Amino acid sequence: MPERTKLLKVIILGESGVGKTSILERYVRHSFSQQYKATIGADFLSMDVIIDDKPVPLQIWDTAGQERYQSLGAAFYRGADGVLLVYDVTDARSFEGLDAWRQEFIVSANPRDPDTFPFVVLGNKIDLISRPRAVSQKKAQQWCLQKGGLTHFETSAADNINIDLAFETVARSAVKRGEEEEEFILPETVEINRKPAEEQCNC
Amino acid sequence: MMEEDEIVDGGDLGADGAVGDNSNAMDELTETMKKVNVNGVPYEPLADGEYDAIVLGTGLTECVISGILSVAGLKVLHADKNEYYGGQSASVSLEQLFDKFKESKVELPKDVYGSSRDYNIDLIPKFIIGNGDLVRLLLHCDVAKYLEFRVVEGSFVYSGSRPHKVPVTAREAMTSGLLGLWEKNRCRQFFSYVNGYNPDDPEAHEKKDLKKMTMRELFKYYALQAETIEFVGHALALYTDDTYLDKPAEVTVKKIQLYANSLLRFTKSPYLYPLYGLGELPQAFARLSAVHGGTFMLNTPIDEILYNGSEQAIGIKSDGKVATCKYIVAAPEYFREKSMPVAKVVRCYCILAEPPPHTRESGSCQIVIPAAQAKRQTDIYVLVLSADHKVTPGGRYVALVSTTVETDNPAVEIQFGLNLLGHIIDKVVTVDDVLAPRSSGNDDKVFLSRGYDATTHFQTTSADVFDLYKRIFGQNLEIQTKNASTEE
Repeated sequence: MPERTKLLKVIILGESGVGKTSILERYVRHSFSQQYKATIGADFLSMDVIIDDKPVPLQIWDTAGQERYQSLGAAFYRGADGVLLVYDVTDARSFEGLDAWRQEFIVSANPRDPDTFPFVVLGNKIDLISRPRAVSQKKAQQWCLQKGGLTHFETSAADNINIDLAFETVARSAVKRGEEEEEFILPETVEINRKPAEEQCNC
Repeated sequence: MMEEDEIVDGGDLGADGAVGDNSNAMDELTETMKKVNVNGVPYEPLADGEYDAIVLGTGLTECVISGILSVAGLKVLHADKNEYYGGQSASVSLEQLFDKFKESKVELPKDVYGSSRDYNIDLIPKFIIGNGDLVRLLLHCDVAKYLEFRVVEGSFVYSGSRPHKVPVTAREAMTSGLLGLWEKNRCRQFFSYVNGYNPDDPEAHEKKDLKKMTMRELFKYYALQAETIEFVGHALALYTDDTYLDKPAEVTVKKIQLYANSLLRFTKSPYLYPLYGLGELPQAFARLSAVHGGTFMLNTPIDEILYNGSEQAIGIKSDGKVATCKYIVAAPEYFREKSMPVAKVVRCYCILAEPPPHTRESGSCQIVIPAAQAKRQTDIYVLVLSADHKVTPGGRYVALVSTTVETDNPAVEIQFGLNLLGHIIDKVVTVDDVLAPRSSGNDDKVFLSRGYDATTHFQTTSADVFDLYKRIFGQNLEIQTKNASTEE
């Protein structure tokens, strides 16, 4: 079987303020900022994750703040190989929103076989002690079970709890799903900034 | 303004632990601070309330401008009345297309159509010229990274009784049924001259002044026949009618060079098309704008435009909430009273089970029917796309036939194009006004884009972006084309 070189697109979804950008920053840049800033300037970050001793290139897409008024658009979801669904364990509303985000993804990205699509559910901000917990682990696990057994982790971007594990898990499921779809051929795409054929030869 | 934002955000989050006994006082304080004042009246703020620019409509032109404004550091609110991106230039599912244009609801059995959601049908069908201005904009704005492109396989021109492949190599030109043997020789001389032409190097002009000489005269000099002229003017220079013949030849020569350079870049064909349809393009520029701080609100009907005493736009009202701005940039359909129809375009969207005959089984192609072939003033265009570009389910094709309306019976005008398609499973026809702004926008601070014309490429759309930029900023948009090696 040929080596898989395809880039895996992973997107992070969830209500504004649940810590999507912080999770991404923690994973890729190993940093965390206490100050909340609605996402500006975050685009996508690339990172290799090691799955079974092989590097798998991940491209992780942040929402760029377009989730604030439910304005993400199909292009954002398109071609995603895995999704991290994030809620805030101290905010019940953010948990209740998960179902809508999952639905929105399935409708917009139109993945083949949505029931087995790699969603990983993250209950973030478990480090916060200043606010009471609003979503119990049991409640979240029940929801994940109902949705066909989605993997669930409780995380903290601030204290670096389960962040690496979350990305490794979604990447592993995406790789596995990719291998099961061997007959699927990717269209041959082109780089639009490629130089004319002649110049390329002279390089 | 920045401090105000932070208080509001902090309040929403409660992360700073400030929620306590004085929360009511805090709420009241935030409430008063949050109000937006317009002409002395306080309103609930729409999104953050205060912006430099408000953009209405998420068509390609508006999204490019939105991206450019946000990158320049301006605070942008971008709203659309629809719940999807793209406005007039969106790509839609089959169900959405039929809901939009068919009079009654149609059943879409899967064995006939495939899955409706596997379709991404462009409301405005166009291809991207590989070396054209839109590619320059995509590279300048660094949004190509959000998109995947695939070359369009074939380019055909109708001549005599059927489509002929537009020759792309010298060898193809020699074997093409399009041209006679002597004509091929004359053509070679003509193209050799055109390729060598450089406006800055009079040596290469062979004593011809193309700034004065008309294209008709240049064709005559090389003794090209009518069919060849038709093919060069319409399939290579991409003119929609023949008015170019009596204009200075230089413009046309540059257009032919653009075609040739695009071909050189992508070898098979000069055209590119994004996977999942053209609707991906506005979304890529919208993301650029969002990444640089632009606020996006789909599904936001505009109740009212707010003006100051000098009739200048200073804000919008939606659902009773208000956002203010220094100016508005909008698609013309948001300001019907400030725009006017300049043409009508008829478009027919067809579903096929096979590629059209004589197109060599291409998964994607363009067929140009030069005006004269159909005894018309303007060309008819046929664009064919398939699962190759992820715009149909496997085994299905979409053919988009369009032209500028010339008579009272537009449906009949496109029949010539439909006749080339073979068996059509289903189709739907629509006639749209092409709207243009009545004024520059400098007086009322409402800068309108133009509607999308019948051309099958983005040169006129790109020209509109440049024009809109110039009207807003009073200077030309300087494009920096990134070198391939400067990739991050």
